[in-house]
Amino acid sequence: MAKILEVKNLRTTFFTHLGEVQAVRGISFDLEEGDILGIVGESGSGKSVTSLSIMGLVDEPGRIVEGEVLFEGLDLTKLDQKEMSNYRGNEISMIFQDPMTSINPAFTVGNQLREVIMTHTGMNKEQAHQRALELLTMVGIPEPETRIKNHPYQFSGGMRQRALISMAIACNPKLLIADEPTTALDVTIQAQILELMRDLKTKINTSIILITHDLGVISEICNKVIVMYGGMIMEKADIISLFDNPQHPYTRGLMLSVPRNVTGKKARLIPIEGSPPDLMAPPSGCPFSPRCQHAMEICLKKAAPLFKISDTQEASCWLHHPDAPEVKGFVKVAGEK
Amino acid sequence: MRNPEFEYVDSSRKESKEQIRKSLTYWKDAWRRLKKNRLAMVGMFGVILIILFGVVGPWFMPYSYSDQNNNFANIPPRLEIYSIGNNEYVYLSKQYNLILVSSKGELITKLTRTNMDVLNKIYVYTYDGEDIVVDYSYRARDNDDGIDITVSYKGLTSEYPAKTVSNKTYRLGSDNLGRDLLTRVMYGARISLTVAFVATIVNLVIGVTYGAISGLEGGLVDDIMMRIVDVINSIPLVLYVILLMVIINNRGLWTIIITLGTVYWVGMARLVRGQVLGLKEQEYVLAARTIGVPKAKIITRHLIPNAMGPIIVSMTMMIPSAVFTESFLSFIGLGISAPQASWGTLANDALPGLSTYPYQLFIPAFAIALTMLSFNFLGDGLRSALDPRLRKG
Amino acid sequence: MFGYYLKRIFSAIVTLFIIATLTFFMMRAIPGGPFTREKALPDQIIAQLNAKYNLDDPVIVQYLNYMKGIATFNFGPSFRELGLTVNDLIRQGLPGSMKVGIVAVLMILVFGIPMGIISALKQNKPIDYTVMVLATIGVTVPSFVVATLYIYLISSRVSWIPITGLSNPIAFIGPAIALSGYSLSYVARLTRSSMLEVLRQDYIRTARANGLSETRVIGKHALKNALIPVVTYVGPMIAAILTGSFVVERIFAINGIGRYFVESVSNRDYTVIIGMTVFYAGLYIFMVLLVDIAYSFIDPRIKLGKRTGD
Repeated sequence: MAKILEVKNLRTTFFTHLGEVQAVRGISFDLEEGDILGIVGESGSGKSVTSLSIMGLVDEPGRIVEGEVLFEGLDLTKLDQKEMSNYRGNEISMIFQDPMTSINPAFTVGNQLREVIMTHTGMNKEQAHQRALELLTMVGIPEPETRIKNHPYQFSGGMRQRALISMAIACNPKLLIADEPTTALDVTIQAQILELMRDLKTKINTSIILITHDLGVISEICNKVIVMYGGMIMEKADIISLFDNPQHPYTRGLMLSVPRNVTGKKARLIPIEGSPPDLMAPPSGCPFSPRCQHAMEICLKKAAPLFKISDTQEASCWLHHPDAPEVKGFVKVAGEK
Repeated sequence: MRNPEFEYVDSSRKESKEQIRKSLTYWKDAWRRLKKNRLAMVGMFGVILIILFGVVGPWFMPYSYSDQNNNFANIPPRLEIYSIGNNEYVYLSKQYNLILVSSKGELITKLTRTNMDVLNKIYVYTYDGEDIVVDYSYRARDNDDGIDITVSYKGLTSEYPAKTVSNKTYRLGSDNLGRDLLTRVMYGARISLTVAFVATIVNLVIGVTYGAISGLEGGLVDDIMMRIVDVINSIPLVLYVILLMVIINNRGLWTIIITLGTVYWVGMARLVRGQVLGLKEQEYVLAARTIGVPKAKIITRHLIPNAMGPIIVSMTMMIPSAVFTESFLSFIGLGISAPQASWGTLANDALPGLSTYPYQLFIPAFAIALTMLSFNFLGDGLRSALDPRLRKG
Repeated sequence: MFGYYLKRIFSAIVTLFIIATLTFFMMRAIPGGPFTREKALPDQIIAQLNAKYNLDDPVIVQYLNYMKGIATFNFGPSFRELGLTVNDLIRQGLPGSMKVGIVAVLMILVFGIPMGIISALKQNKPIDYTVMVLATIGVTVPSFVVATLYIYLISSRVSWIPITGLSNPIAFIGPAIALSGYSLSYVARLTRSSMLEVLRQDYIRTARANGLSETRVIGKHALKNALIPVVTYVGPMIAAILTGSFVVERIFAINGIGRYFVESVSNRDYTVIIGMTVFYAGLYIFMVLLVDIAYSFIDPRIKLGKRTGD
């Protein structure tokens, strides 16, 4: 399958007046056509900044300091804002966490939707209007003829998210980035929106990056997962490997701290002790080492490379090193990747 | 042999790796951020300076605000003096008074004018039994030498000023009645600042009480109270200040304070109400209510302390606007009555002689602008220092 | 939707009614009648004067007559200037006040808003600092200082610029600068901070993520939202400025209602004070009403009766 997106050694830093905040610290991953890639991590893990970096939307005082973002082989970090805006909303789209604030309150939904369509397709107003109606229908907004004339305040949260999704998919993007699209919504609405996204993926044939802190969401819709912590990738795997056989202490911790299997045997929730690292002065070694129960000398000094566990799974943990002590469930790998 | 790099570390070392940030109280944190804001610190320094100027300044002045010396009326802060020999100098005022000045710039005495020849533009004064002849006819002629006037005394004629000195008797010059302007500006600061501070406190008390009650009571009480505020808000307040001043018809300090204090509380009331509406839904207020804490206590112990940030910012902004309004009222003749003077009165007094003695306007105007600027800088700084949204940094 | 406008108009009338009543009774509360002079007039003359102006009627009758007068735009005679009515003064003064006011308002809108926008877009750049320093000076220097400084600078140096009256277009410069200085600076500051606030909003990021050009993001999506608080301020401001400024009209010797008002205050010409106050308030309320109605077109939420920021 063709790689639609390759992120290579991406490093994004915010130069605040209090010091440098290294939000993303040299991450690499690929996205293949048709993938739904989940990026999971707690707040401050760098997952949102990663998505903004791909979109070229990192705001001042942040900057991509290193690395490449190759979209169909073209390095997006080399484009200026004007060239980039030809891709945004057209080839690559994004939807955001909070539909209440992410849609402009001052214009009607139709106005905003038509604007996106006309910007990228050169349709006239009438054509764009027809297309907008189609899109609203597609994302499941009832009575689109009336709703298109409404202002966002007349929409509920779920409806707003649907409207925002309709803008994002207006030009059949090849890549759709969804940054916590369901976090701000009610649980019932969450499921609907996820269902809609899965549906759209097949309809418009797009690849999706889904950013979330919710492993449940990941398990429901993604086929590949990246686990981020402290601006770095801890583990990347396909969905089955990750859930069956997590190979990073942090991933394990995440899973143990999520309630699951409600009807089955009683499983205690086990929190991960401690708090996320201060990205202004990140630990010199593995970012998770201060909270890791398996932390070793080397973990404090040097971040682990990604050890290739299998064809579909890699993890950044020294426990996979041949010299490391034996820990149940962690596979030893002969060489570094 | 095991690789030592792969030994487990004990937990005590791990914990030390964790960042512990000093925890700061709200006010300490705000102060820390305020200190970092250079403009706000300049503003605070300015405010302190102005207050000291008004409070302490007059103690060091040899004059009071009402001491007048008609001989030395309208003398500017900088003097062009002409030598009359013997290390003695004279200064010709704009009103053609000739004043004997020491070489350092102290005003000694006004010399008697014995003869005025208006036609030839020659005035004669007498000093020590001899005539001083001032010829200002050059002013009407074109001359390339740059001569303004000539001063002749005991056969010696000065065509050019010997030097320009600062007025040592009146540092910032004197007004049209020969009162020291610096002293008057200091007393003006007292009055302007007293008016501003007291009026602000009155506004604060009314506004906070009104707003807190309205916000906490809610329902019909809130509706009625806010309708009243709406009505007051749709009146140009300057009109009511003027009307009140006319009605009370007593141009004292307290009249202005009462007038300003009772009119401008509306903004504060709205602000406090908004704060209270948000705060009263907080759990700790609900908790206090469930255990039956009386309303007055909830207001004073829970609501107001937590709404203090915005209240303080709004206060800092109220003070300069009270200074502004007071000077405006004084300027249109509704202010403090003579011989007391606020900055506005001083500026108003300077109007008739503006083209000849502009310094009389500049000095109070500068004082007003400086006050406004200082409080504005400080207020802007406080606003961002107390803004909870910016707290993280 | 129509109900909203009706409600606004009704509450404007109620407000005006309250103001008129309040003013009337405040004036009655003044010790001594309108004919109290430093040199006391003979009782008999005062009685005659009172009879002439119907001041010997019971207060309630006076009040009703007065309210009837206001309802028919008849504010009664001046007690000081014989033969002149308050209406005459308003008729004489309004054109001058309006002319200067319109020029000042135009200056505020044409310079203030773009200055604020540019400043926000070039945040922390030299042009931002320049604009903000100017704007800060503008809000800290009182209009009477600006006016007198202008007169001082112009009168001694540039003889062809008239410094008083409104005899030719150039004469408008001084009054307009003095009148607009504060509000222009305030609008620039307000626009800037509002723009900065809006640029941080999520929907601006959405607009960028949707690939809209920077011109559209700023010129359409940011601007309309940023202008909402500006319009809120500009509304009452226009009212205040159009009705003239007491100080500026006095300093520049413009025959405007502001000047007449100040004169009536120093003359203690009570009917003129009351009449002018009610007229001022009426004009002000009317302008605010107009702006509120205009506002409902800008901010769609307002028709639901919900005011932002309330």
